[in-house]
Amino acid sequence: MSDGTGLGDRVWEVFRQEAEGDPMIHSGNVRAPDEELAVHYAREFYGRRQESHRLWVVARDAITELDDPDLLKPPFDRSFKRPGGYLIKHKLEAAKARAGSPAGEGEPE
Amino acid sequence: MTEVVQELPGPTKDALAQLLLGIADDEFVIGFWDSEWTGIAPMLEEDVATSSISQDEIGHARALYEMLAELTGQDADEIAFGRQPEAYRHAALMNHPRTDWAFTVARRYLYETADAVRLEALARSSYEPLAQLAAKMRREERYHLMHLDAWLRRLAGDADAHDRLSAALRALWPDALVVFSPVPDEELLVRGGQLPEPMTALGARWLEQVSPVLADLRLPGPTPDDLAAGAEDGRTRRTDDFRWLHGEFTMVAASERGATW
Repeated sequence: MSDGTGLGDRVWEVFRQEAEGDPMIHSGNVRAPDEELAVHYAREFYGRRQESHRLWVVARDAITELDDPDLLKPPFDRSFKRPGGYLIKHKLEAAKARAGSPAGEGEPE
Repeated sequence: MTEVVQELPGPTKDALAQLLLGIADDEFVIGFWDSEWTGIAPMLEEDVATSSISQDEIGHARALYEMLAELTGQDADEIAFGRQPEAYRHAALMNHPRTDWAFTVARRYLYETADAVRLEALARSSYEPLAQLAAKMRREERYHLMHLDAWLRRLAGDADAHDRLSAALRALWPDALVVFSPVPDEELLVRGGQLPEPMTALGARWLEQVSPVLADLRLPGPTPDDLAAGAEDGRTRRTDDFRWLHGEFTMVAASERGATW
């Protein structure tokens, strides 16, 4: 919305975290002429009711977007690129045994 | 809030009541003036911010009226809405109408910075409920200060806005120092520590803080005449603009006196 004042010329995306350690979740956006007022408005819209532990405020034009369907939704069957259907648990255990030490966290199937 | 009212000698209690009433009325009246921007602020986001800050101030006024009511055995709503305009004790700075955005920013900047100095002192008050409330209010006022500081610098950087801001400051300066007009029988409060420092000392500290900021932005500071103006009747002098606002904010309460809402 152009209001003739130039105040709302930039859009800032706001991300919100409810508690320390939670993921930052996109909440919405605010218009503001600069970073300082963007932070104030983000606080008003997404933090004044004590609902947020932390906010990230990012200028929309600082975000690099990728939405090319040729890159994201290629037309051929690419199901072989998904990990499902491959049983690697036993191979992984064998590899760990060979290495003689636990192979870090997060045991895949 | 503590339930037990500390035992104070009568005259000290009366002086404390005057102090609380002045601060509560400052917050109440500026809150109502600036709530007049709801719906017409320069942009939607600022509309929300201004309305929310105004609401904060009315919330602070409410806490102060309740403390006063407890001290004097009155009813907080009755103090807030039941008085005639002449009985309000806000500083003359709050007599002026909302006017334009630059005027609102100028008044608010002067008030927020003055209030910050006053709250810093009150957080050291020997009257425990006041010290606790002032400490709480300071945490909320931090954001008000940041926001008004941002707007002052923003407007000062634009030629037309700079002119409007300068005109507003020149109009407001004679009434601005009234925020620090001595409270009746203030020496009792200073002696008892309820008011840790005399108002004139707080006013001097405030001027030391804001003068260089305004000078850096080429904005007018107070003239010697401004500094000498209106200290005696600064919290009793009322204007038609304020009488109009009083009519607005008492309208609902006056429609059904003593009703339970």
